Amino acid sequence: MSARTRYALERLLLTIPTLLAMSLFVFLLIRLVPGDPVRTMLGFRATPANVATIRHQLHLDEPLPTQYIAWMGALLHGDLGRDYISHAPLSQLLGEALPVTLELTLLAMALALAVGLPLGVLAATGRGPVRRLTDGFVIAGVSIPDFWLGTLLVLLFAATLEWLPPSGYVPFTSDPVANLRYMALPVLTLAVGEAAYILRTTRGAMEETLGAPFVTFLRAKGLPERAIVFRHALRNASVPIVTVVGIQFGVLLGGAIVIETLFGLPGVGRLTVTAINQRNYTVVQGSVLVIATMFILVNLATDLLYGWLDPRIDEVVER
Amino acid sequence: MSAVSTAVRSVTVRGNRRTRAGAAILAALVLIALLAPVLAPHDPNAIDPSRILAGPDLSHPFGSDALGRDVFSRVLFAYRVSLAVAIGSVLLALAVGVPLGLIAGYFGGPVDSLLMRPVDLLLALPALLLALSLISVIGPGTWVALFAIAVIYLPIMARVVRSSVLRVVNEEYVAGAGARGVSRMGVMVRHVLPNSLGPSLVQASVLMGFAIQIEAALSFLGLGAQPPTPSLGLMLADGYQVLQQAPWADIFPGLAIAIAVLAFMLIGDGMRAHFDPHGVSR
Repeated sequence: MSARTRYALERLLLTIPTLLAMSLFVFLLIRLVPGDPVRTMLGFRATPANVATIRHQLHLDEPLPTQYIAWMGALLHGDLGRDYISHAPLSQLLGEALPVTLELTLLAMALALAVGLPLGVLAATGRGPVRRLTDGFVIAGVSIPDFWLGTLLVLLFAATLEWLPPSGYVPFTSDPVANLRYMALPVLTLAVGEAAYILRTTRGAMEETLGAPFVTFLRAKGLPERAIVFRHALRNASVPIVTVVGIQFGVLLGGAIVIETLFGLPGVGRLTVTAINQRNYTVVQGSVLVIATMFILVNLATDLLYGWLDPRIDEVVER
Repeated sequence: MSAVSTAVRSVTVRGNRRTRAGAAILAALVLIALLAPVLAPHDPNAIDPSRILAGPDLSHPFGSDALGRDVFSRVLFAYRVSLAVAIGSVLLALAVGVPLGLIAGYFGGPVDSLLMRPVDLLLALPALLLALSLISVIGPGTWVALFAIAVIYLPIMARVVRSSVLRVVNEEYVAGAGARGVSRMGVMVRHVLPNSLGPSLVQASVLMGFAIQIEAALSFLGLGAQPPTPSLGLMLADGYQVLQQAPWADIFPGLAIAIAVLAFMLIGDGMRAHFDPHGVSR
């Protein structure tokens, strides 16, 4: 077995305890609520019969390990439990909300890459004015809170120019054009800060690579600068960039929580916030579980890609 | 050689200039927060029905909000919440994260795994989601937000300290202190710790900036500071409702957040050249 395969396998195996620990955390979440979680959750609906039914459905009348096994067993069969306010199964709620969040984060990441990568390369190879301009963009992009940027964009594009709707949602499958019109502002909002971050990382990685001895050698060999930058340097600089994109995906998932609430998008983020405000613990539990699982799997994919992009990982593993 | 040293110097000079600019802004903001009762022209919670959504004028430079409260006075007071949460959460994360990272990095082996594995698990959730989970259990509030942000930052701090400790333990002066008969505890606290703190200070500054944004986001969602506390996030939530009639109720609190974050970012960026030449805190 090659060292790289072994690295990939080890990384895959390491994901299992991480997922288990996360599931334990999510499981305990609802049980750590001070007082009686069922009474808090039901509020004025807490008749003795209701409380008893739900306590039984959540297995809260059994010892903790039994509860956990029952919960995990149901989970592995795709049963995430029920929303105790609307009585809808969680798998259905999340199945409707997840595509919205995925569309939002993936489009935002794509836009951020489309802007951040070329600007980062330009900043690393460009002259003074270009550098100062990108410097300004990075500082502004990092300092301005995304949800405030969102309100400014609404003020400009929705309230003043009336080009785009301020909030709402239409599924892509029923009307793609309307869907993209509703998505435009949230995606733009989420992408600006992300683009700044990708720009900064790309610039740093490119500067480091362009100063490396092999680049000096390629220059001495007489290769055109374009070929050096795009064919050789960018590939070497891609390792830290991929890592950052992977890590940032989690940040985007977090950012989506606020942005979805701001723009009235029915995604997992808004589902979570609404559930927390209503003390709807089973929904909180389900959505935290889904977002965290996605996050862990993206991290896994990033690490695997990282091992594939950087052959030096062989040496590290063999040592 | 001279080209390199010039480049290095220009980086440090730029770093110093940034640090100084950031520190000046931050000092001004801290003063504003401390002196808010003296500086504010109006009571931040005073409701004035005659000034509902009134625009900026000389006595109300940032205009008034939907309840006729003075936005300028509220921003001044809101800096108290923002800065307290930012500084408090990072100090709390430092207080727990530095000893953890120090011990894990210095002793290594099983001690390292025992301490760092649980810490790493905190990194298995997106930061904001972790904060929301904690708030869903404890309930909303400013102190809960501070605590939740500290929990998010704890693994980051522990990781940064640990990696700089791993770099420092191999230095000759550490071996030298051991050879002179300094106890392990003494080496760790007197020699390794002071030389490992640089990158975590850089990180602390950047994280304080992000804490201001996270606190604002939590309050914006209704899960942080509760009304009528003047908080920048709450003001943005209120301002969003009246965006078209009274944009000032939204724009000024947002600018206030951006300026505070900018101050911390400038300080962090500038310090990085000085305290973290190896880029541990990146």
